[in-house]
Amino acid sequence: MRNLLHDMNPSLKFVLVALSMFAIAFFFNPLTPFIFWIGILLLQVFMSKVNWKAWSLFMLPFALGAFGYLWTTIVFAADTNGDVVWSFLEFQVTAEQLETALSLAFRVMAFSTLSLMFAFTTDPVKFIMSLMQQLKLSPKLAYGVLVGYQFLPVMKDQFQQIQQAHRLRGAELEKNALRRLLGMRRILIPMLAGAVRNAERSAFAMEARGFTGEARSDYFEVIKLRKVDAAMTAVFLLLLIASCSAEYWF
Amino acid sequence: MHETIFSFRNVRFRFPDDEQLTLTDLSFDIHRGERVVISGPSGCGKSTLVYLLNRLYPFNCDGIISGSLQLFGKDAEEYAPGEINHRIATVFQDPDSQFCMPTVEEELAFTLENLHVPREMMKQKITEVLALTGLSALRHEVIQSLSGGMKQRVAAACALVMEPEVLLLDEPISHLDPVTAKEFILWLDRLQHELDLTIFAVEHRLDLWDSFFSREIQLDRSGSIIGDKLATAHFPVLLPERASTMVPETVLKVNGMAVKSHGKELLSGLSFTANRGEIMVVAGPNGSGKSSLLKALCGIYALDAGSIQAPGIGFVPQSPEYLFLEKTVGRELAFSGIASSAQLNDLMERLRLKEIENAHPFSVSHGQKRRVATGAMLADRRTVLLMDEPTSGQDAAALHELHRLISERADEGVTFLIVTHDMEFAESLADSVLLIKDGKMTGKYPAQDVWNHAELLAEHHLLPPKGAGRLAESFA
Repeated sequence: MRNLLHDMNPSLKFVLVALSMFAIAFFFNPLTPFIFWIGILLLQVFMSKVNWKAWSLFMLPFALGAFGYLWTTIVFAADTNGDVVWSFLEFQVTAEQLETALSLAFRVMAFSTLSLMFAFTTDPVKFIMSLMQQLKLSPKLAYGVLVGYQFLPVMKDQFQQIQQAHRLRGAELEKNALRRLLGMRRILIPMLAGAVRNAERSAFAMEARGFTGEARSDYFEVIKLRKVDAAMTAVFLLLLIASCSAEYWF
Repeated sequence: MHETIFSFRNVRFRFPDDEQLTLTDLSFDIHRGERVVISGPSGCGKSTLVYLLNRLYPFNCDGIISGSLQLFGKDAEEYAPGEINHRIATVFQDPDSQFCMPTVEEELAFTLENLHVPREMMKQKITEVLALTGLSALRHEVIQSLSGGMKQRVAAACALVMEPEVLLLDEPISHLDPVTAKEFILWLDRLQHELDLTIFAVEHRLDLWDSFFSREIQLDRSGSIIGDKLATAHFPVLLPERASTMVPETVLKVNGMAVKSHGKELLSGLSFTANRGEIMVVAGPNGSGKSSLLKALCGIYALDAGSIQAPGIGFVPQSPEYLFLEKTVGRELAFSGIASSAQLNDLMERLRLKEIENAHPFSVSHGQKRRVATGAMLADRRTVLLMDEPTSGQDAAALHELHRLISERADEGVTFLIVTHDMEFAESLADSVLLIKDGKMTGKYPAQDVWNHAELLAEHHLLPPKGAGRLAESFA
């Protein structure tokens, strides 16, 4: 049960996530994104092994953003006609305003939770392999991304080394954010130079092992669509339909 | 005579942007079962030659080729892309950029998928090649977590899983330390015997290969053949002996140094001193803390305990360009504004940087970059210089240049701490040797006491230098 979201076919999960986002975007009532958001949270609680501490950290900026939407929509609304449901200081909040605000805020929460659910339960390598097998992504692109993924830790290491070397030269870290950004080019140029070299080497190594970018006839690790995927699709669609039709129930 | 597999007739090659030929009038034949090495200085077109054989060139660089190049009796151009690659497999020099999948098994599978091997046969082929290469235990390991030597073996296994007839080696040991390189060569030797492979390698340092190769083709800087002969065992690069110019005046004093990172102890209890003009070689197995020591000494890592006393410590990383901040060599040296222009002038004169004063520091040669980095450190009055693996992957000319750079500076009173695995290089320069193992100091020894102490060297994953004395006799 706790593995269900992790075991899902990554391409299918991706399609479902994209489909849900697209569908929810057409509903402007606050209830639809709210129910969808709670639903995704429950799915995650019962069907995944998510590190909730890391999850909360990632969620924090989105939650702040959602609150920002809520606040600004209430305070700076253009249209202030209608029944006042709540008033404090000199602010008068109308029902319509509150509805728009909640709708926007819940939408941010729903979309970010959905995205994080995908990110936290999907292995990037499996995702690419699945995109190639189920959605016919071109191997040239797919393996390009995979090589890039292998290089990430190397690049991080290089970044640190160059930063340390610069500090040794007495190049102080700029306090001013804009200047710091401009100063980054001193680190990025040698990194890019190295990256270009590495990219060429990798490309050569792949080509020398017979990689031509054409479609493969057989995969070693076959990523299938299984019964779990059918069941999970049903769960997702049910949740989606329930939230989209929420308006008519209440 | 065995079947001819490669046949070169007046092959010339140049890159579209170059006027000069990279390879000039190459004519030779390679026969099945041969072990051929192409030797020559860096930049003589050795790697280009490898890329011509596995058909990466001329397509990938729009290179211009003339003459006749036949692979297995058929013109090279007649092969479709990827067609030749399972018969001629390649192991490249950089262990870090040859892989695209996370684990060993997946990487091998990638190769088999490229060749359209049916899925039912993949498992078996992978099992076989891992057994053959003795890597079965690594099957599910993450490649990036392996050592350089193991990565090169995995790269070779990926080549061998294609069941090739020829194995091309593009300086496969240049990023490995000598002991690991030796092990790799012995391992390769066994495989060649078992599989009856043809081996075609390019290499600039042949001393570690002993009698592995049967034939050596020498290229000069212009990419023409200057010799084609039976291969003989090579001696290491002969570097001039140096009389110590160490002055009995302590400049660096390290006392009870300890360094921790993320709760892990990297170094503990290091105490030693260094004199003015002393050249100290720091050596030990990979991961023993050599680089951590350098980083702690120059202040990149904070000390957990102990103290360092020194006037000013500079650091020249393995990639000297990491230090560069300015657009010209001249401004690079003047960056901190500590040295006066007269001092800078003098420094540039001594480091032979005058001729490249207005060049961009990224555009000069590797040896020049190192001189610029050294100059930048000296201009900041850092008179204790740390060098991280400056010998790795360097050819004879580069080693001579490095030797001269260090030797001249030491004569001027600069103190050096040099991390290297190259004991021949160490022997020609070092006054003392600091041996490190598992983050602890085995001891600091006068250089002379270490070279004949084979046991002590072996404990620290080092090979004794091939005696310079014996070499001098054989050349006399």
